[in-house]
Amino acid sequence: MRPDFYVLNWNDLLVSSLFIVFSIFLIKKWKLGLENTLLIGSLRTFVQLTIMGYVLTWFFDQQHWAFMLTLLFLMILIASYEGSRRQKKEIPHFFAAMFVALLSSALIILGTILLFILDVKPWYTPYAAIPIGGMIIGNGLNSTALTANRFVGELKHREKEIETLLALGATPKEAVFDAMKASIHAALIPNINAMMTVGLVQLPGVMTGQILAGIDPIIAVRYQIMIMYMWFTTATMANMIMLAIVYRQFFTPKLQLRSELLREKA
Amino acid sequence: MSYIISFRSCGAYYEPMENDTLFRFEDVHLQVGKIRILKGLNFEISKGEFVAVIGASGAGKSSLLRMFNALTSPSQGNITFRGTSIDADIQTLRKNVGVLFQNPVVFEGTVRENLLIAGRWDQNITQTLDHEILKALDQVGLKDIELTHHARDLSGGEQQRLALARTLLNHPQVILLDEPTSNLDPKLAREIMDQIEKLRKLLNLTIIAVSHDHMLMRRYAKRVIILSHGEIIGDGDFKALDNSQAFENAGLLGNEVNDAT
Repeated sequence: MRPDFYVLNWNDLLVSSLFIVFSIFLIKKWKLGLENTLLIGSLRTFVQLTIMGYVLTWFFDQQHWAFMLTLLFLMILIASYEGSRRQKKEIPHFFAAMFVALLSSALIILGTILLFILDVKPWYTPYAAIPIGGMIIGNGLNSTALTANRFVGELKHREKEIETLLALGATPKEAVFDAMKASIHAALIPNINAMMTVGLVQLPGVMTGQILAGIDPIIAVRYQIMIMYMWFTTATMANMIMLAIVYRQFFTPKLQLRSELLREKA
Repeated sequence: MSYIISFRSCGAYYEPMENDTLFRFEDVHLQVGKIRILKGLNFEISKGEFVAVIGASGAGKSSLLRMFNALTSPSQGNITFRGTSIDADIQTLRKNVGVLFQNPVVFEGTVRENLLIAGRWDQNITQTLDHEILKALDQVGLKDIELTHHARDLSGGEQQRLALARTLLNHPQVILLDEPTSNLDPKLAREIMDQIEKLRKLLNLTIIAVSHDHMLMRRYAKRVIILSHGEIIGDGDFKALDNSQAFENAGLLGNEVNDAT
């Protein structure tokens, strides 16, 4: 018999905090000196997620398209900020590049899912738009931030190659095309590998959550398949849009490589 | 500036006719950050010349060379190519002005793929016929090489020749040489320079070579431009300027000058 719901109450959480107590015991035994950090970390987990739960409850009560759009817009702004903060070397206008890449992939992919796949009515129902939007934006953020770092690395590595191509009469796009391809390639391989092994070794988090919450595994699996496809398309789209904006920042209007951007900052 | 020596006025060879002028530099400065690399250069280069730009390291030679194909732009001043601003059509300029770097870049792939790399953006190159490829290889002394040979397996000298052949397929009028032989042994260096000099005559090319090796350059270049700390301190007939005060001021005269012939 499939259980209807496993609902966690506050007492259950208290018991699960014994995991942390046990970890602190182990850490002390090995004198790792991590007990205070762990304590702060586990308290923050508790406080942040509890607050988030109330915030989400409030969000889910809002039934207005303007609210939904503002929220998604804010999420994209924050993700773009986070992405540009993660950049080791400064890419000019990277915030804007991230914003355009995330906004356009979120609009297209989230729109398709809400309108044509899940047939959510009305489309701005927060129960669907917020978690799926969050997944798209979060995944897009992680992927583009990595790709951008990789791209700068490729440019640095291929500086002479790029100048040779420019000297033969290439446009900047032609000169960096191999570098763009290599960095997108590196970003997509893990996504494809995840699709290869999903379900064999580990069940994805979303699916696990749904099954625990009492959803039929057959249904949960369908969601997961859609999410895997969505993730891949998000990564592909967001990376390509981001790189199409970013590569231009590395050239002057006179088709010269701005190699000063590739040097380490003192 | 009293030590500037100019032989322009006394030699017929350097009296450029108006329509023979390829490059004209007018008060060209280059400043990167706070460092002044080039300080007010004025000169012209005519069609068919073989010009050596020499100077100690840090004199600004390489920065100057990069200006001829607009890989670097002056922070002040004007450069014209055949009478029009060098920035007017940079892609065409770069096809007209090929460059051979100190360490040639050879791409992953075969000899043929390397030669036709510009075919990615240039239809004319895509349509290059085999006999044109073979002609270019022949012209750089790589007659016996297989087109399917892996390019990165070639020796340093062969890679340098391959890079030269790749440039030739653009049908350039000018070839820039950036210390092209400094990584090769003297015999090989001379062979490649001989080949380039032969090409200059055959294809009526203009050669502008940057080098710290004035002993090698004096064998080929008729004209020398001596750079020191970003300024031209000598410009004229190589033989006449050899061992001159300008050479000494540029920090180029060492012991080796005694066995110069």
